[in-house]
Amino acid sequence: MQKGKKRWTAALATMTALTLALSGCGGGGNNQSSASGSGGGTSDKPVELIWYTIGTPQKDVDSVMAEVSKYTTEKIGASVTMKMIDWGDYQQKMQVLVASGEPMDIIFTSSGGFDYVQNARKGAFAELDSLIDQYGKELKDTINPAFLEGSKVDGHNYAIPANKELPQQEVWRFNQNLVDQYGIDTKNVRSLDSLEPLLKTIKEKAPDVTPFAMDKNYVPYVPYDYVIQNLPMAVKLDTTDYKIVNVLDTPEMKEALATMHKYYKAGYVAPEAATTGSTSDLMTSGKWLLDRAQTQPFADNVWSTSYGYPVTSTPASDAIITNNSVQGSMMAISANSEHPDKAMQFLNLLNTDPVLRNMVDSGIEGTHYKKTADNRMENLPESKNYDMPSYSLGNNMLLYLNPNDPENKWDEFKKFNESGVDSPILSFNFDPKSVSSELAAVQNVKEQFWSSLMTGTVDPDQYLPQAIQKFNDAGLEKIMAEAQKQLDEWKAANGK
Amino acid sequence: MQMARKAEKAGQPKPERLKKKTRDFHRISPLWNVIFNLIAGLFAIACVFPFIFVVIISFTDESVLASEGYRIIPSKWSLEAYRYIFESGDTLLRAYGVTIAVTLIGTAVSLVMIALYAYAISRKNFRYRRFFSIFAILTMLFNGGMIPTYMVVAQLLGLKNSIWALILPLAMNAFYIMILRTFYSTSVPDALVESGKIDGAGEFRIFLKIIVPLSLPGLATIGLFSTLGYWNDWFNALLYIDNPNLVPLQSMLMRIESSMQFIQQNSANSNISMAALSSLPQDTARMAMVVLATLPIIFAYPFFQRYFVQGLTVGAVKE
Amino acid sequence: MGTFFKNLYRNKALLFMVLPGAIWFFFFSYLPLAGTIVAFKQYRFNRDGFWASIARSEWVGWDNFKFLFSTSDAYTITRNTLLYNLAFIVLGLIFSVLMAIILSELVNRKLSKLYQTGMFLPYFLSWVIVGYFVFSFLSMDRGLLNQILGWFGMDPIQWYSEAKYWPYIMVVVNLWKSIGYSSVVYLAAILGIDKSLYEAAMIDGANKWQQIRNITIPLLTPIMTIMTLLAVGKIFYADFGLFYQVPRDSGTLYAVTNVIDTYVYRGLMTTGEIGMSAAAGLYQSVVGFALVMISNYVVRRMDKDSALF
Repeated sequence: MQKGKKRWTAALATMTALTLALSGCGGGGNNQSSASGSGGGTSDKPVELIWYTIGTPQKDVDSVMAEVSKYTTEKIGASVTMKMIDWGDYQQKMQVLVASGEPMDIIFTSSGGFDYVQNARKGAFAELDSLIDQYGKELKDTINPAFLEGSKVDGHNYAIPANKELPQQEVWRFNQNLVDQYGIDTKNVRSLDSLEPLLKTIKEKAPDVTPFAMDKNYVPYVPYDYVIQNLPMAVKLDTTDYKIVNVLDTPEMKEALATMHKYYKAGYVAPEAATTGSTSDLMTSGKWLLDRAQTQPFADNVWSTSYGYPVTSTPASDAIITNNSVQGSMMAISANSEHPDKAMQFLNLLNTDPVLRNMVDSGIEGTHYKKTADNRMENLPESKNYDMPSYSLGNNMLLYLNPNDPENKWDEFKKFNESGVDSPILSFNFDPKSVSSELAAVQNVKEQFWSSLMTGTVDPDQYLPQAIQKFNDAGLEKIMAEAQKQLDEWKAANGK
Repeated sequence: MQMARKAEKAGQPKPERLKKKTRDFHRISPLWNVIFNLIAGLFAIACVFPFIFVVIISFTDESVLASEGYRIIPSKWSLEAYRYIFESGDTLLRAYGVTIAVTLIGTAVSLVMIALYAYAISRKNFRYRRFFSIFAILTMLFNGGMIPTYMVVAQLLGLKNSIWALILPLAMNAFYIMILRTFYSTSVPDALVESGKIDGAGEFRIFLKIIVPLSLPGLATIGLFSTLGYWNDWFNALLYIDNPNLVPLQSMLMRIESSMQFIQQNSANSNISMAALSSLPQDTARMAMVVLATLPIIFAYPFFQRYFVQGLTVGAVKE
Repeated sequence: MGTFFKNLYRNKALLFMVLPGAIWFFFFSYLPLAGTIVAFKQYRFNRDGFWASIARSEWVGWDNFKFLFSTSDAYTITRNTLLYNLAFIVLGLIFSVLMAIILSELVNRKLSKLYQTGMFLPYFLSWVIVGYFVFSFLSMDRGLLNQILGWFGMDPIQWYSEAKYWPYIMVVVNLWKSIGYSSVVYLAAILGIDKSLYEAAMIDGANKWQQIRNITIPLLTPIMTIMTLLAVGKIFYADFGLFYQVPRDSGTLYAVTNVIDTYVYRGLMTTGEIGMSAAAGLYQSVVGFALVMISNYVVRRMDKDSALF
């Protein structure tokens, strides 16, 4: 794209925005210009946007989308067809659909389904920078800026993140029944060490309870952000020099592992923790005292409801905004979309307009749900035919509240998001292409050592040096050097 | 007795006479008979047991399952899983319908195509015999991969979300063509075909009146292979079917399974796992679906088995 | 030219018969073949679809292959594919011939028939279903096997993440599914053996074991050899369903359950490494092709009728 054209596009965008503001509604299907800004041209026929999203296909999707289309045709001159692909199929099916160039406009993407960074780099998604400027004004004002900033890949936006909980914060969760029964004091808990008296008490008084519940994915919290999830290369959160270190080599991790081993030997951790896939059985039986989890506002209520007994929590870390937390749920525009401009207008509307957002989320008013107040709703029996996963469909904070949601739900989310601190490497995405054979080798080493070290099953004095040695033999240092090189370039480019 | 008849067909001495004689001294000692019975019997039980076990699980009470796991004799029985399935609407019924339709149409289509192709290349007077033989054989050795195939089926032929996307990709198989070609040449004497030609019969007439009746066991074997192939296929539905009304049985089971894996992989993200979990049937209901998907085969397969054994020596040598 | 059309006309009936099949092969086998070229490209999506993507992706020559063989993956998947198939072939042969002999010697024919019916069952089930069956045994918290371990006071095992057990599990599951079928094949062959041979042996005073060793097994040898050779020809192709469905796609098991077929599939569907995946697929096709040709040649020399082509 040439410079001149870009400026011209910006001018056009400003004008469009002004016209929109003046006419007072979302415009009327009068802008067919493509992303490169090839000029005006009007059309009465609404364009059809095809939207692929994740979740079990629902019976009433088509009828709801017909309703949605009526609304969007009026607002932006585009109708919407939604194609839902079941959870387990999403990754695989999207891979085939995108590779074969199936027509599509909007694609759900995240770190856990149709990987965002990887597919952005392969060219699956349209670059959105200019489109956001052009059609996404309201959107930019509505969602937390950290989302857009944090979801950049190599300096560009390829997707619109859903506005929801932004940072990741670790908490210690407690089984409140046991806390009350044995008079355990949870107030002064924060660090891993501070758990010891609690674990000791419960171990003595209730030997059949697992004091510290964890599965094989457990990793002690250390104040570092990982360059790749669960590989031991990380940057300290309060870093100034942006140095990537082997997290196993840091004093924090060494201390944490020693503590974990101490706990393990004392019987606070289940003997099979390093091979346990999930703690759901413990959660069902209620025979646990504490564990660690990621939180969000009112998480205690959610946990208590789903387990059927009270669960409370206290923070175990600060709230940190990381790539992982930002890229949890996003919508991209397909690189082969014929109407990227309309798609962007739709995403803008979806993330700013409560009527549209709730229609997409809950269906047709009077059929699937009924409104009980301005910002409250209740599901009707028909909602079983339109039961959608809210997190994947755009701005969560526009959603009407359910009967048992507290009035200040979204305010608390906003507060929580404000409290988040950016990770120093937020929006740095490592490109592992040149070291991928080393990466595979390192992954294998990790499978061998990781869980048993992290859960305290083995003595770190003996096994940690071995693990570090094996990691280095497998090429971890080479990967770290490559990552450091990329990070330095990124740092220079972003003026950090 | 099947085997005995088989032997007769292969030009062996008459079994009836033989059997009387062998009954007398062609025998193992009673001790070995017991041991052999034990070995064969135990293995047969081992083959059937997993199915029975899954049936038991499907009749177990879900709450008991959580505390004591899958038991051979659960402490509490329940019909809840089946009630759930039948009340959850017509999903399963539809899946049955799709699978049955695909299996019937598919088997018919592929049998006709394979039988004709194999006949043509078995005819020595067919000028392009060699070309078409190699044309078929080459396809066994290379394949273009999933995405190009997807493009042909979904985009070029426009079969997406159509029942034909489940039928056509499995319709031909060079392997079966070769089996059938060999079967024709061994079971139909050339002289018979020649005499047909002399009587002035056309190729189609010869095929229908001479080849088909004599090759029935071979055709039945291929037909049953392809019936099994269609009944057990989940892969084409994964690629080509989005419409929930066109999902066949196996693919439905497969989807439930892969959703479970998805939840496990994303267990750290509570948003995803909570939302996905709510859409899944419980353990007993899943096992009940497995039972219901297997049942037709269980009932049909003694019949299958009879035909298999008949067509076996020719077909199986190459399988 | 004239003779060409005359020939076409003369063969019109037979040509008409191959036509549907030939059209099918063209669309479903030959047309997609063009996609193989992606093995030599650094694949990047293009908005105009797959062919445009291929055409416009950068030509990287043998890079995808070099890369594939520089990782440990190529070694792992080749080793797994070959060793598993080898185990299936050898153990399958031994057990199914044994079972066929046992079935043929049973005094009570009705029982023998009943056993056959039971053994045949697994052959008819899809791998999806078998995957569920295996799960009912191996589930960590609910499975039957861990309960049995519990009776003996042993700790439960996290089956789906302990790689060391899986080579055995895969072999057992595969044998379980296939023995019923192949033993019936051998049984048919045994029952086809001329009974007078046994009578003659009996008159010479040979006992049952000598009969089995000296008559049954030698007469089964040709069919055993042919079936084995044909299986060897396909040794580079693994049973996708078995290796994908039964281990439930568990990542920690990849080292012992990843075979060429699952690697190609995952490369395409999960990691999106289209070029690498195509390279692995081509590698399989070429080596597999060579093996099929060799085994077919050997079979042909032994018994012309049994050769594939």
